[in-house]
Amino acid sequence: MNVELSDLTRRFGRRTAVDGVCLQAGPGVFGLLGPNGAGKTTLLRTMATVIQPTSGTVRLLGRDPGQHGQRREIRRRLGYLPQALGYYPGFTVAEFVEYFALLKEMPAGAVPAAVATAIERVGLADRARSKLRTLSGGMLRRAGIAQAIVNEPELLLLDEPTAGLDPEQRVEFRALLREVGQRSTVIVSTHLVEDVGAACSQVALMNAGRLVFQGTTAELTSRGEGHGIGDAPLERGYSAVLATARA
Amino acid sequence: MIAASAPAQARTQQMPADRLRSGARLLRLEFRHSAMLWLVPLAAGLFWYNAYRPVMAMPALWSLRAPSMQHNALLDFVLPVVGAATWMGSRESRRGTGDLTAIVARPRWTRQLIAWAALTAWALAGYAICVGAVYGVTAAQAAWGGPLWWPAAVGAAGLPALAAIGFAAGTWFPSRFTTPLVSIGTFMLLGFSTQFAHGATSLWQASPTISGVSGIGPDAGVATFYPYLPDLPIAQVMFAVGLAAMVLGTLGLPAASGSRRVRAASAMTAAAGLIAVTTAAGLISTSRFERHGMLAIPALHDAASDRPIAYQPVCGQAAIPVCMNPAFVSYLPVVTSALRPLLTEVAGLPQAPARILQAAPTFSQLSYNDVAVRDAAGIRIIAGARVLLASMPDQLPGERQPDVTSAQYAMQVRAQVGDALVGILVGEGSGQAQQAVRAGLLMASGVRFAGPGFRGDGLGMTLRGPAPGSAVSDAARRFAALPAAARRAWLNSHLTAVRAGRITLGQVP
Repeated sequence: MNVELSDLTRRFGRRTAVDGVCLQAGPGVFGLLGPNGAGKTTLLRTMATVIQPTSGTVRLLGRDPGQHGQRREIRRRLGYLPQALGYYPGFTVAEFVEYFALLKEMPAGAVPAAVATAIERVGLADRARSKLRTLSGGMLRRAGIAQAIVNEPELLLLDEPTAGLDPEQRVEFRALLREVGQRSTVIVSTHLVEDVGAACSQVALMNAGRLVFQGTTAELTSRGEGHGIGDAPLERGYSAVLATARA
Repeated sequence: MIAASAPAQARTQQMPADRLRSGARLLRLEFRHSAMLWLVPLAAGLFWYNAYRPVMAMPALWSLRAPSMQHNALLDFVLPVVGAATWMGSRESRRGTGDLTAIVARPRWTRQLIAWAALTAWALAGYAICVGAVYGVTAAQAAWGGPLWWPAAVGAAGLPALAAIGFAAGTWFPSRFTTPLVSIGTFMLLGFSTQFAHGATSLWQASPTISGVSGIGPDAGVATFYPYLPDLPIAQVMFAVGLAAMVLGTLGLPAASGSRRVRAASAMTAAAGLIAVTTAAGLISTSRFERHGMLAIPALHDAASDRPIAYQPVCGQAAIPVCMNPAFVSYLPVVTSALRPLLTEVAGLPQAPARILQAAPTFSQLSYNDVAVRDAAGIRIIAGARVLLASMPDQLPGERQPDVTSAQYAMQVRAQVGDALVGILVGEGSGQAQQAVRAGLLMASGVRFAGPGFRGDGLGMTLRGPAPGSAVSDAARRFAALPAAARRAWLNSHLTAVRAGRITLGQVP
């Protein structure tokens, strides 16, 4: 398993953002669903080693992120797209991706090719030399995805990756996820159920810091049969599980 | 477009050489995006306005221009460098890239050092260009001597320290107010450090803007006849480098900065910096004021520096040759022509020197920052000849010295050197005839005497003379009004008697 979380809890002062989450994920695309404030971003930031858990254990890629040497190995193999992507407006797309490739300690000789590939994969090859300040919101999101995948991560964590992408780009992005998911673990946090339905084999649903569902998309869909609110079967499953959790 | 197919890429461990190469690539990226890149022209503009023009207006003496540049240049660079460094230090916080950069494998400390290094390199490049301009022009203009590199080195060592302070402040306090507050605060601190320095042992002398002894500062009479003493600059460089190491090392101490090894390295860097800073401060506290106007630090002092620099004087043609240090050759025409009438009149008289030779003044520190400067005036027998040693007014006349014109400088020379010469001839006695002859000779040579209540003209052009209306004053005027030939003939026959005090006021023609 690339991700093993056991009884993971994260508190910010008195507020518990993630409450006793147990989760295991191997290669494939894993969807993390939940309403706003459910704790998805905190869980993802914990898995990305941005923050440390208050309690519980975390193992990523078979290593303990609590140990510095192992954390560094994890980070070399990690890709992360935060919900609010910060960037340096004066950097070009290629420089931005190269910067993070170098910070991820990729071999210097492999960086130029990896940067070009990552930029091409997100469809920004023609804007590689454009300054980030000149890009649209969707393009910036894609530049963020490029920096996340430039090191061919074994664990890719994406927080609301499709926000700002147009429908065509979202379709292509899902294809990219499926492709990366063939050899890596991809965890996608989103509240767009259709993205999960199209790209994810496994799905988890969070509410108020807890995991209230974990299974396949088909299983989530089945939870909504005859219940729930929504236009699509998966949406009905989502709302039915949430309603049960809130009851 | 997002492509679904892509080649898989093998992950390999970074080798040390590879780490260096990727570090170099990061440095290249930081070079291209350092805020200092945009502020170098501003710093250069400030330098031109505030340092280059006033420094170039000074006489082309290395001992004058190099230390003046050290003081001014650093003040011109402090705002751009500290501002850019603070801005760059707060970059991750301002741009919200904290989450992205927090999860990379490369330690935060090395990332910070690379950004600081790029910024510092730009600052140093700008500084080098500015210093190069001053030194290049001075090399073309200076008649004698070579560049003084220590003042430039102190400035160059100060810039990384300033950049480190700004960068650390930006990292620790990433507020929008940090950049202006830290920049202006550092500027004020450096600017006022010259005011805070009191006495030879003041620790404020560690400030890289202090380029000479408090109370003297850059001076033409210093480091021309004696070698430039690098004692204080060495301590200043040590202090600045230590400060930079200390601040940069402290940046790497937090747990998030990297592995234990990285943090140990940063702790050692900070400790080494602290040792350098305290050592430099200790050295400065032992400094002493030397008679040639510079500070000596016993532990750093080379006794060979106390020997005067050997030089072949350049002499101006007059009845008594006037010889000067070749560094002051541009002064020579004005000095010679200012003294020529007097020299023509007194040449060959008993006790008249065979030559006037420029000599270094002697400095000594009084209380607080007051410095006593003793003129070298006096007769010395050199190679069997009577030579009058005299210090010259240290300002060059003409367009390059906006404060003093050639005419004013000539008056300074007449008042200073002429008075010394006449004093040697007539004697320093208090007899009225002596006073009248002395004043008359000086009046005849163009020296102006001030009336009662005179408090100095600020330039040393006017002397205090006999009280107007007094018998001495009248006799002096009478003597000055004589034809030069008559005055000389009388002096030829009566000077020994005047010196001995055997002439009464009434006997003065």
